[in-house]
Amino acid sequence: MAVIEIHDLVKRFGSTVALDGLDLTVAAGEVHGFLGPNGAGKSTTIRVLLGLLRADSGTARLLGGDPWADAAQLHRRLAYVPGDVNLWPGLTGGEVIDLLGRLRGGLDERRRAELLERFDLDPTRRGSTYSKGNRQKVALVAALASDVELLLLDEPTAGLDPLMEAQFREVVREDRVDGRAVLLSSHILSEVERLCDRVSIIRAGRVVESGTLAELRHLTRTQVRAEFASPVPAALAALPGVHDAVVHDRTFSAQVEDAALGDLLSRLAPLGVRSLTSTPPTLEELFLRHYDRTGTGTTRP
Amino acid sequence: MTGLGTLARLALRRNRWFYLAWILGMAAVAPATAAAYETIVGPLGGTGALDLLAGNPTMRAMLGPPYDLTSPGPFTVWRVGTFMATVAGIMAVLGVVRVSRADEEEGRTELLRSGVVGRHAPLTAAVLVGLAACAVLGLLVAAGMVAAGEPVQGSVAFGAGSALVPAVFVGVGAVTAQVTSSARAARGLGLAVLGAAYLLRAVADAAPDGSATRALAWLSPVQWMALVHPYGDERWWVLLLPATLTALLVAAAFALEARRDHGAGLWAVRAGRDRAAPSLLSVGGLVRRLQRGSLLGWLVGLGVFALGMGSLSGSFDTMLEQIPVLETMLRRLGQGAEQLVDAFFVALLGVVAVLVAVLAVQLWQRLAAEEHRGHAELLLATAVPRARLATAYLVVAAVGSTAASALFGALLGLPESLSQGDVAPMLGSLGGALVLAPGALLVLGIAVLLHGWLPRLAWLVWAVVGWSLFMVWVGSLLGLPDWLVRLTPWAVLPALPVEEMDWAPVLSVTAAALVLMALGVWGYSRRDLRLP
Repeated sequence: MAVIEIHDLVKRFGSTVALDGLDLTVAAGEVHGFLGPNGAGKSTTIRVLLGLLRADSGTARLLGGDPWADAAQLHRRLAYVPGDVNLWPGLTGGEVIDLLGRLRGGLDERRRAELLERFDLDPTRRGSTYSKGNRQKVALVAALASDVELLLLDEPTAGLDPLMEAQFREVVREDRVDGRAVLLSSHILSEVERLCDRVSIIRAGRVVESGTLAELRHLTRTQVRAEFASPVPAALAALPGVHDAVVHDRTFSAQVEDAALGDLLSRLAPLGVRSLTSTPPTLEELFLRHYDRTGTGTTRP
Repeated sequence: MTGLGTLARLALRRNRWFYLAWILGMAAVAPATAAAYETIVGPLGGTGALDLLAGNPTMRAMLGPPYDLTSPGPFTVWRVGTFMATVAGIMAVLGVVRVSRADEEEGRTELLRSGVVGRHAPLTAAVLVGLAACAVLGLLVAAGMVAAGEPVQGSVAFGAGSALVPAVFVGVGAVTAQVTSSARAARGLGLAVLGAAYLLRAVADAAPDGSATRALAWLSPVQWMALVHPYGDERWWVLLLPATLTALLVAAAFALEARRDHGAGLWAVRAGRDRAAPSLLSVGGLVRRLQRGSLLGWLVGLGVFALGMGSLSGSFDTMLEQIPVLETMLRRLGQGAEQLVDAFFVALLGVVAVLVAVLAVQLWQRLAAEEHRGHAELLLATAVPRARLATAYLVVAAVGSTAASALFGALLGLPESLSQGDVAPMLGSLGGALVLAPGALLVLGIAVLLHGWLPRLAWLVWAVVGWSLFMVWVGSLLGLPDWLVRLTPWAVLPALPVEEMDWAPVLSVTAAALVLMALGVWGYSRRDLRLP
């Protein structure tokens, strides 16, 4: 069963098209990465799911309900952390956590205390005195201490330091064991790579790629670098499936399609390989390719 | 001071409508009053009666002591000058805090300061734009008075005073913006200083001639324009007082800014509770907590004002015996009251009814600010329906403003009741205030409707409030057509005790207000949330 099902969603703000036929599915218990550059439509999608914005066309189902019509009831079963957390200047962090927890339908007391400890957050300080990272921690504690089926996290670690980021990853991993689904929007690629079961890449209001990390890597090329005992024949660069090849005397580097790897390696072996490295593409590279994608849908050669 | 030019232009651009609306509204009042001089003074049968009226402690407390009522110029200075200078002070405080502390609190200044911008440049820009607005106001007042046919020299003195008095409050705002870390508190503190200055001169001016208390008026900046005696002996040196004080205050603001961290105030923010009190744990509880401060501030201000005015009202009866012709004038203001005290109460309640609408709209529009700051997003992502969030703000605005009406009415009649040993005057003014309360609810209904359906046009409700305030304050004095003066949400409501109690308009205005509110909340539940 899917906790989020979005089909052909369109949202316009005046003449700007924020979402342009977006499709997205998140299965129960899945940690789903929602990856895209600024302004791609990540926050707009999440706000449509929260019933804060009304879609112009298309369908969206959230936990089996209508995110606009059933908003308040559905929100008992989910928790949300906005990308830019603004707190009431006069309220303390502890007060905000209690308030948001109560309005959501209840808070796990033991977990609240544990999360405050783990995120090293002082709940007696007032909203106006927290840094961006600490404001984010307040919203994270309030969300993670709630007993919900789905977490909607919009760039949740943007203000956290690396230590706190690690804490955050650990907490989400533990949650996954409990079967809690997560939609995690981010442009911090390593975070998505380390946390997510599946990834959807969004660009200009559409999902341009969706699948498990393995599936997405399948679409990409492996970076190969090799050094040889003898000069490299220039013909290697012209092999089918080999891209961006650089041949420099005894060294060779190129991006190679997975299908062409076997053929290439069999041709390299007779040259007397001294060193060989092959790196799987990081999401960074995946992302850059989609980021550079033009409106016509062609990828960078 | 690097980057000052750019910052000043930015501040000017972002606040031009704010300042323009204030300036144009205020600058029109003085020439209009001067032009209507004959209409006002004629029915009194000459200035002798006017002198007696103006010499009355209550009138002196409200408007200041007159120094010459025989010609339109000095009459205008007395009748609207001090009041206008005080209102301009409100503009100055709000304007400076808006550009300095509010921008700093919202993080915009940080962005600017990270550029090639000097430490004091943002505050300097705020002060310069505020002073420029005061100067424009002064120029318009002077030009308007000259255009109305008044002597140039007096008009220049009047204009200079009208610019320099609010300039002092540009300085006050600049200082309070350094003291507190929240713009809300800085505004409150600045307006409290202004209120105290007004109260000080009210107390001083109400004192009998020759009393030492009278000299206290020299300590109140809002009185300095009138103390110049424009169109009289023009004591130009008095203008040095606001000019010097402004310079001192601005210098103090810079000195304070140099001593504090960016984003912080001089008052350290204390730590608070680690757990929420049960009273906070609901939308209604949150809204009550957020609105508590401004509501209390209003209640205290209105309460002090009511007690002050109420305790002076007794002196009217003696004056009425001296000059029966005064009835004509006060009846025009007080809708034809038999008793002068009643007329006075009716006129005052009419003005305060509009002020109460300002409170109602201000309390309601906090919801728009909550959307703009992203707080509403946090709440609406929990199991809180839109209608419940809107209703929580609506209830606080409606109940808070009605309570303010009741408090003002009760306290206005209290001194009279105490001196007579009879509860009737207090109940009378309480009733008079309460039957006008539906007018504020109607204005609130308009604000809710606009917020629900046309949030971009939310400012339109202030046009209704501004129009109504102008009409109740000077509309009838200026001899404007009756239908125009009565074109406000309050006009159909009975003016107790002068008019008979009539439930039909009270109930129908209340019903209309409720319908507008319901429509507005419905619209709010249907539209896109406005996000940061």
